[in-house]
Amino acid sequence: MNRSEHRADTALDFSGIASRAGETDATGHIPAQNWQDLRDSGYLRLFHSPEIGGTGADGLTQADAMEALARACPGTYWSATVSALLCAKLISTYGAPRTHERLLQSLLSGEQLAAFAVVERTAGSDASTFRTTVRPAGSRGSGFVINGEKAKITNAPCADLAVTLARRDKSPDDDGPDWCLAFVDLRQAGVRRYEIPHMGLRGMPWGGIVFTDAYVDEADVIPVPFTELAEGMAWGWIKNAFAAIAVAESALAASIRHAKERVSFGRPLAHMEGVQAQIADSRAQIDAARLLARRAMKERVAGESVRDLIAMLKVSSTEMGVQVAARAVQIHGAAGVTRGHEVERLYRDAQMNVIGGFTSNRLREQVSEGLGHGPAVYRPFDWLAPTGLGRDAAGLDGHPILNAPAS
Amino acid sequence: MVLSHSPVDPGAAPGDATGPSLRRLALDVASRIAQPTAADRDHNSRWDAHILAELTRALPTAALTGPLVPTVLGGGGLSATETLALLEGLGQGARDPGLALALGVHAVLATAPLRAFGSPRQRERYLPRMADGTWMGAVSLSQTQGTAVVQTVRVRPETAGPGGWVLTGEIDLVAAAPVAHHYLVIAEHTDGARTAFLLDRSTPGLLINAAGPAALRTCPWGRLTLDNCLLPADAVLGTVGGAVDEVEPLLAALDWVFTSAPWLGVMRALTHDAGEAAHQQRLFGQPRIHSQTTRFVLADMATQCELASGLLYRAAAEFDAGGRPSRQNAAAARLFTAAAVRVCVDSAARLSGVLALNSDDLIARAHRDALFFTESGGGPEVQRSVIAAAALGLG
Ligand SMILES: Cc1cc2nc3c(=O)[nH]c(=O)nc-3n(C[C@H](O)[C@H](O)[C@H](O)COP(=O)(O)OP(=O)(O)OC[C@H]3O[C@@H](n4cnc5c(N)ncnc54)[C@H](O)[C@@H]3O)c2cc1C
Repeated sequence: MNRSEHRADTALDFSGIASRAGETDATGHIPAQNWQDLRDSGYLRLFHSPEIGGTGADGLTQADAMEALARACPGTYWSATVSALLCAKLISTYGAPRTHERLLQSLLSGEQLAAFAVVERTAGSDASTFRTTVRPAGSRGSGFVINGEKAKITNAPCADLAVTLARRDKSPDDDGPDWCLAFVDLRQAGVRRYEIPHMGLRGMPWGGIVFTDAYVDEADVIPVPFTELAEGMAWGWIKNAFAAIAVAESALAASIRHAKERVSFGRPLAHMEGVQAQIADSRAQIDAARLLARRAMKERVAGESVRDLIAMLKVSSTEMGVQVAARAVQIHGAAGVTRGHEVERLYRDAQMNVIGGFTSNRLREQVSEGLGHGPAVYRPFDWLAPTGLGRDAAGLDGHPILNAPAS
Repeated sequence: MVLSHSPVDPGAAPGDATGPSLRRLALDVASRIAQPTAADRDHNSRWDAHILAELTRALPTAALTGPLVPTVLGGGGLSATETLALLEGLGQGARDPGLALALGVHAVLATAPLRAFGSPRQRERYLPRMADGTWMGAVSLSQTQGTAVVQTVRVRPETAGPGGWVLTGEIDLVAAAPVAHHYLVIAEHTDGARTAFLLDRSTPGLLINAAGPAALRTCPWGRLTLDNCLLPADAVLGTVGGAVDEVEPLLAALDWVFTSAPWLGVMRALTHDAGEAAHQQRLFGQPRIHSQTTRFVLADMATQCELASGLLYRAAAEFDAGGRPSRQNAAAARLFTAAAVRVCVDSAARLSGVLALNSDDLIARAHRDALFFTESGGGPEVQRSVIAAAALGLG
């Protein structure tokens, strides 16, 4: 079966969004029409059950839709999927069905946009460096306030709502989790936002959020054990994987077009074995990644965690995306590094997928741990000098001072 | 950040419900029966018919020797996906790529073309005996890529006597040759057309020499010399001159997918061993498993297994879906798996030491055999050409 065949019946039409992808990148802004197209397509509702306003699509349909949107415009895909998949999953998993119904409705209808604010200006890989804190605003029942700064956050500059990871300022008798998710309304006085200019996915809004005594309703502060959060974050890793696969597929499609058009040594590049090898390797690597992504999506939507598999997927597919995009640039020659060319844009986009959401190093650690090799062991780097390897060799004539001739 | 576990279950690999349990069963059986002697048989380039008999007995009826033969002909009646799972388990359990190659060549490469193109008489004569292991079939790995590599057997019609065909030439790399009852051989006519033949061992003029590559030493290798071998008309498999549309593309796809299957199991075994070794060794005063380099290598090995698995099971499933399995997907499965095998053997050699004394020598054997595996099935040049031809609409 070839891919286009099994997609035909479920494919959503993102041709309008695709036609504006270049402009979205150049202006660093997702056009309003993209959001209208997304609402009309039903994409935002695919990932959720009908009880909460979704259409309850199966795993492979969701996979098809994600890849199709990411192929049309990776920046738009990121923004929409962070909100409609990742944030909405977190709200539906950890929130209260009744209380947060309206919040979910607004995300699934596309009326509102959400951000998932975890990382701060400090090391994003290490949650122990995060300082943002939620504490009671005053007397019991008067809600909470949140203080701190989140940085490098997708949708931060324009989101309506931030699903925010924060520390809980706990009273001594509170033995609940140290962390919480706070659903923070970003349209209030205690919130300041800024943009961070970025290399790829330029249409995707990205930046920081500063909370200064911003108000959070009591019902919107949900204590969550940290380990559980990774379960939710894995939706984000899947999101990156499909972005990577789509970017790679677009890069390969552009490479194939170019190879068939560009004439060198009397024939199109497509007749050159070196170019064929690049295309074939890309084809095989993309297929391998896509099959793993679809397997992961299918199993996860069927209710299994498969988090380690998703970690493998995130690392391998995003790194594959960079490799394939780099090959595409090679095949295009100077055109590939010319500003405004599709593969130049894809090359910039590909790298973003690797870092966003958890870096490869951290995920490889997780995979290793999942293989049964125990948790990561970190220690100060002070073990080399005692081995004798921390010193330069004396050289062929031995130590210059010890061997200096007596005068 | 500490994350709780959700281990990856290779048994959850795509496929029908019985695939994972067959894989598991083959793994257990092969590790009990074949693995203990693998290193020794390799050292002595020895084929052991008892092992085949014991494996056959321990697995469901005809699952090993005739998985793809329909049950009405005494076969295991397995799907292609189940067959792949079985071969994967065999590779992982036996830790013996040579044995798995010989069995795969018999059970898949020599069998499937007979099932697909055999006349009713041929199917009834060969398939039941192949399925129960009485007759082994053999194929040359140099005949599984069409004529991408040079064609060495010629055929001309027998005009004088009772009719039939006369075959002449030499074929190398015939896996299972010394123990086979018959051979699937493709021969070229003077006009360049090619025909597939079933060549029985007893055919006058056929000489079988035990000779083969320095790799996969537990596979009984042989070279066939055909000196004016006279074959009856009903030795033709498929249509006269029709190999290019019939047996050749099928053999290519079967080789790319099914001889890769045991290697998926070998990769899993290497990943497991490398992890064990990393727990035992010490580096800078710490268990080596604390080293991030080591941990990342292990993570990448496990990931390569899952990626290759996806491609192989997709390609196998296409054999079960009716229709024509895509040559592009079969070639991609082999291209990727061969590269993944090299990553895994190199990584395992790094982590366990290539000449680790405490092992059954799998790393050293796999290292040597992987070189052969990567270059067989046409190697990257042939596989990439097939994939690129499909992608570019050329070729
Ligand atoms: C496109 C994009 C979108 C993003 N969207 C969001 C979002 O919506 N919400 C959000 O909260 N965050 C978001 N981020 C932030 C992202 O999660 C972090 O950038 C990422 O987790 C890494 O954190 P960092 O950038 O601070 O790098 P660091 O954590 O400082 O890491 C720097 C380097 O050190 C390595 N490193 C760190 N720790 C270890 C270790 N223990 N062992 C070995 N190597 C290590 C890392 O692998 C990395 O290579 C986004 C980032 C990008 C690029």
